[in-house]
Amino acid sequence: MSLFSYTKPRALGDALKLLRNGTQAIAGGTDLVTLVRHGLARPERLVDLTGIDGLRGWTREKGQGIRIGALTPLAELEMSNELAKILPIVPQSLRDAATPQLRNMGTVGGNLLQRNRCWYFRDEGVPCWLKGGERCFAIDGENRYHAIVGTHDCWMVSPSDLAPALIACDAEIDLRSSAGSRKMKLVDLFVAPRGRERREHALRSGELITQVRIPEKALERRGTYLKAMERKAWSFAIVSVAASAKVRDGKASDVRVVLGGVAPVPWRVVAAEKQLDGTSLDDNACLGAADALLADATPLRDNGYKVTLAREMIRRALRSLVT
Amino acid sequence: MALPARGPVGADLALSVNGRRVTVHVTPDRSLLDVIREGLGLTGTKRVCNEGDCGACTVLVDGRAVYSCITLAMACEGKSIETIEGISQNGELHPVQQAFIDHDAYQCGFCTPGQVMSLVGLMRRTPSPTEEDVKRAVTGNLCRCGAYPNIIAAGVAAAKKKAK
Amino acid sequence: MAERIRVVKSRDEFEGEIYESLAVVEGTDLPPRPAGEERPEIGKPRARIDGVQRVTGRATYTHDVVLPGMIHAAVLRSPYARARVRAIDASKALAIPGVRDVIHRFNAPKAAFRGEDTIFRDEVRFIGDEVAAVAADTVGAAHAALAAISVDYEILPHVVDLEEAMSEKAPKLEEDGNVIESGALKRGDMRRAFKEAEATVEATYRTSTQLHNSLETHGAVASWDGEVLTVWESTQHVFGVREGLRNALNLPLTKIRVICDYMGGGFGSKGGVGKYTIIAAILSMRTNAPVRCILTRREENLAAGNRSATLQTLKLAGKDGRVTAVEHTSWSNSGQAKWVANPTGPTNTLYDFPNLQTKSYRVVTNAGSLSAFRAPGYVEGTFALESAIDELADAMGVDPLALRRKHAGKESDPRTGKRYTLNRTLDCYTIGAREIGWSRRKIGGMRGSTPHRRRGLGMASQIWGGGGGPPAYATVHFNADGTVVLRAGTQDIGTGTRTVLAQICADELGIELRNVSVRIGDTEGPYGPISAGSLTLASVGPAVRLAAKDARDQFLAAAAGVLEVRKTELRLERGHVVSKGARTPISEITKKLENNTVIGKGSRWPNPDQLSIKTFGAHFAQVEVDVRTGEIFVEKIVAVHDIGRIVNPMTAASQVQGGVIQALGFALSEERIVDRGLGRVMNANLEWYKIPTVRDVPEIVVRFTDRPDRKANNLGSKGLGEPPIIPAAAAVANAVANATGARVRHLPMTRARVLEAIANMEASS
Repeated sequence: MSLFSYTKPRALGDALKLLRNGTQAIAGGTDLVTLVRHGLARPERLVDLTGIDGLRGWTREKGQGIRIGALTPLAELEMSNELAKILPIVPQSLRDAATPQLRNMGTVGGNLLQRNRCWYFRDEGVPCWLKGGERCFAIDGENRYHAIVGTHDCWMVSPSDLAPALIACDAEIDLRSSAGSRKMKLVDLFVAPRGRERREHALRSGELITQVRIPEKALERRGTYLKAMERKAWSFAIVSVAASAKVRDGKASDVRVVLGGVAPVPWRVVAAEKQLDGTSLDDNACLGAADALLADATPLRDNGYKVTLAREMIRRALRSLVT
Repeated sequence: MALPARGPVGADLALSVNGRRVTVHVTPDRSLLDVIREGLGLTGTKRVCNEGDCGACTVLVDGRAVYSCITLAMACEGKSIETIEGISQNGELHPVQQAFIDHDAYQCGFCTPGQVMSLVGLMRRTPSPTEEDVKRAVTGNLCRCGAYPNIIAAGVAAAKKKAK
Repeated sequence: MAERIRVVKSRDEFEGEIYESLAVVEGTDLPPRPAGEERPEIGKPRARIDGVQRVTGRATYTHDVVLPGMIHAAVLRSPYARARVRAIDASKALAIPGVRDVIHRFNAPKAAFRGEDTIFRDEVRFIGDEVAAVAADTVGAAHAALAAISVDYEILPHVVDLEEAMSEKAPKLEEDGNVIESGALKRGDMRRAFKEAEATVEATYRTSTQLHNSLETHGAVASWDGEVLTVWESTQHVFGVREGLRNALNLPLTKIRVICDYMGGGFGSKGGVGKYTIIAAILSMRTNAPVRCILTRREENLAAGNRSATLQTLKLAGKDGRVTAVEHTSWSNSGQAKWVANPTGPTNTLYDFPNLQTKSYRVVTNAGSLSAFRAPGYVEGTFALESAIDELADAMGVDPLALRRKHAGKESDPRTGKRYTLNRTLDCYTIGAREIGWSRRKIGGMRGSTPHRRRGLGMASQIWGGGGGPPAYATVHFNADGTVVLRAGTQDIGTGTRTVLAQICADELGIELRNVSVRIGDTEGPYGPISAGSLTLASVGPAVRLAAKDARDQFLAAAAGVLEVRKTELRLERGHVVSKGARTPISEITKKLENNTVIGKGSRWPNPDQLSIKTFGAHFAQVEVDVRTGEIFVEKIVAVHDIGRIVNPMTAASQVQGGVIQALGFALSEERIVDRGLGRVMNANLEWYKIPTVRDVPEIVVRFTDRPDRKANNLGSKGLGEPPIIPAAAAVANAVANATGARVRHLPMTRARVLEAIANMEASS
């Protein structure tokens, strides 16, 4: 007998009604199925969202920016020639994300809400802090892939490739629950676990992401996404960098730099971006921003190389916007 | 309207597998791979990691390559499933299968069904796949024996044949 | 007939150990065919004869065996790196519906296994060690039962890390301590050589634990019918599994049959019976149902073996453009295994160093044990030795290839003094240097394709056994329709054994390849050796050739009777019996013979007594290194191998490509990561244990010297399974050092290690 039941509603309203304690939404299932199998999620009921119409695909309306339905398969964004023209950073970020099969299965909403890949967290035999235990085992354990900055009680890193790219585009998300709806900046969806908040996302119980919106203004910016892996494909990022900026007459403005793989959240330091305003994104300016982004870095025994790596990748990502 | 809820004891599920309508009793925790291998006895699809890390369980669902080990069987209700057993027609091998033989694109052969299915999926969607498309298509299929150079060669040969 | 049977003593040497055996042979051996002789099958690229099975999913692997009434076993494994099992209560597990049986150390029958008398230890010694096993109607019930077994553990202090285990502070895991000497060799006058040296280098190298990760996990299906135990197992040696079951269960060999039709990779780790086999067998005998016991990926990576992590120190002296002395000391993390794969093997034999001192130590830990992994010891040792030789060449200001040429390609084995049957290492160097463009190599490397990339070339040599030997047998019989069945007790572990044996058979018989059917992987066939040590082809192939020759002779004698001509006037050619001008299809003869048939048999003759049979080769690598991000791009590998005559150039090339790719994993990304405090493997999966993907594959150029080794055996062929994994990591490491000026002495060469080596170099210059 299964430990959970399964329902596949046809309408968003029905799904929202079903989402309450003990119920978990599922779409592609690429993360949730393994979490359930390892006892890291224990839903009584799964609500499969993939039967709902209207949350799939992306659109652009003149002056209104881009809207991406939360149930859009990652492959659809990755393979879109049209999107590659108007917002290349998004397909670029997905090119090396997971694998073709996982991108066929996985959705935008699921990618943003995936849980971290820390091997202490994923090992059901280790009572780590995030799972309610006493301590983070990575601090004095095996930590070559763990966080170098922005940590409090947990040294996991934000795993998504898509999130830094979308944040660099000032993405916002629409949330719905049976109680109503709200909007938030995508960057605010991600929270570093600390104190009583042993979680990675600011989603409330019963809430769903319905769509991601990218403002028209962000489409005026150039963007790029770089990813470092331990092999040439199919790895979560050791370090990734999403960078975007408006470049006019060789001068940058409106710069965004967002790092993946280095902190429990997609890592952004607004002051570092501000100091690039008006510069020509020359090496000095880029490295200065990199230093500002990594100023608070406190590496563990085995992950100091990430500082070196991130610094150089930030430089390259920013330089590529003007060359 | 919601589709009927499926309780923990499971329900009969209607699927199309290799063009055949089948009904199998499954509980909500069963994967598509469980149904294919244990429920239907189609053992060509392999279980290697059982968590979406290797690609040996790749099948096509509505024409798209997915990992059946982390696909819930219930989510496939009413969908068309294709496995390695279903791609040769009237006793004739699919061009990808023939190319694998011609190019020695396997060693132990345990990843082969998954590799073939990924490439069959590619051939369906892409009019004239390039070598880059071939590599991309099998990026999510690990081969421990290291047959990759021949897998690429086989994929390219099948793509050329298709283009003709 | 019996008077033609003789017993011949055979002596083979590997790593200085002499293995004596008897070979029972019949008649006379065949001489190898001369070099360059055009043959209908041998030397021809042939698609695998079982290709259709493999691409259609019809090939049946052990995982795919389903028997009527089959039930499922699952194994409870220790969650502690070291603990005493004080008590086990399985009553709750047994109460779960569908659970048939639970066995553990307090109720299981004694079963001999690798020097111990039980498969469930009193003191469990690593996370993953077997504690109990369950049989249940479904996999789900079996896993529920595991969770319901309560075990009282007394937790004991543990140590999992190699270097920690070597320290005085580590818990003592064996009476004599954790460090045990396992091999030593000394020749010449070390002190004098170092005193007179022009240049010396001294360095420490580390390699990490490599996990086999065969895609088909270890496993068995056992079916006891009350009289005979039939076992399907994913194994490299069906006869080895049978022997292991005999020892464990005390059954006569007539009561045990082991079958391995297709198997999904082994790489050395599937060399004999496993605890899972014995568990499946015991549970089948206790429940009277067929039992399937298949490891999960996690279990595979905890308890199915690995290539040991090593710590190696090398000290080299050089003078007058030559290496004058080498001191090599190695320590290997063997886990609980009672043996070690000596990394000093290649140092002892690859080059004719005049002064040499090597020592190898086994270090006991509470991590999962080693098992053979494709060229065990040689992969690790060659990396260290060949890195050190390049370091000495740099210190002496000589070309590293030129330095090697002085010491390689000799006529006799520097360790034993025995002459080699053939050694074409220098040809490998010439071919490889040409293919990679060695003359472009510059001290300090070359400019790369982008501003921060440097390009470099490197190379390394290889020595390994691969001569094979007796015992190995084969039979060949004709069917009434003129087709032929070849039986041999070997197994195809993915190398193409079925196909090359069919080629040898068809070639010798003079019939078409498609008319040969090969039955292997079954202990009901004639005995065959383990498919390991690069010995399958060189052991079984010559026996197949003799069996085919015997069948041909007998068949022609029968055909002479049918055609009423003299036998000496007949020969077999492309499926026809040919006499003066007349060609009769074989099937016409067999039709007349009806079900009268002939059965040819052949055995492997011993190796030449006073000679040493080895395989040789060299790999050349071109890499780029991004010196700011530590990323390595392997652009090209040229792999040149000297393995005698090639039977099937297509499957041979596949072997080389595969070996190179596995070596690249070892060199660049593969590493078992263990938390020392917990004693847990943190990446016992295919997510964080990173084997190469299709994107990690460089251009690989495969070349063979392809000259028969006529003194080796009647085919002139040697093995190829292991040679291609041996030198690639060293070649890449040398290329990285050439490109960057920074030497990475710790595999895999992760970004962290590359960046650290570059930072250290920049700091010191």
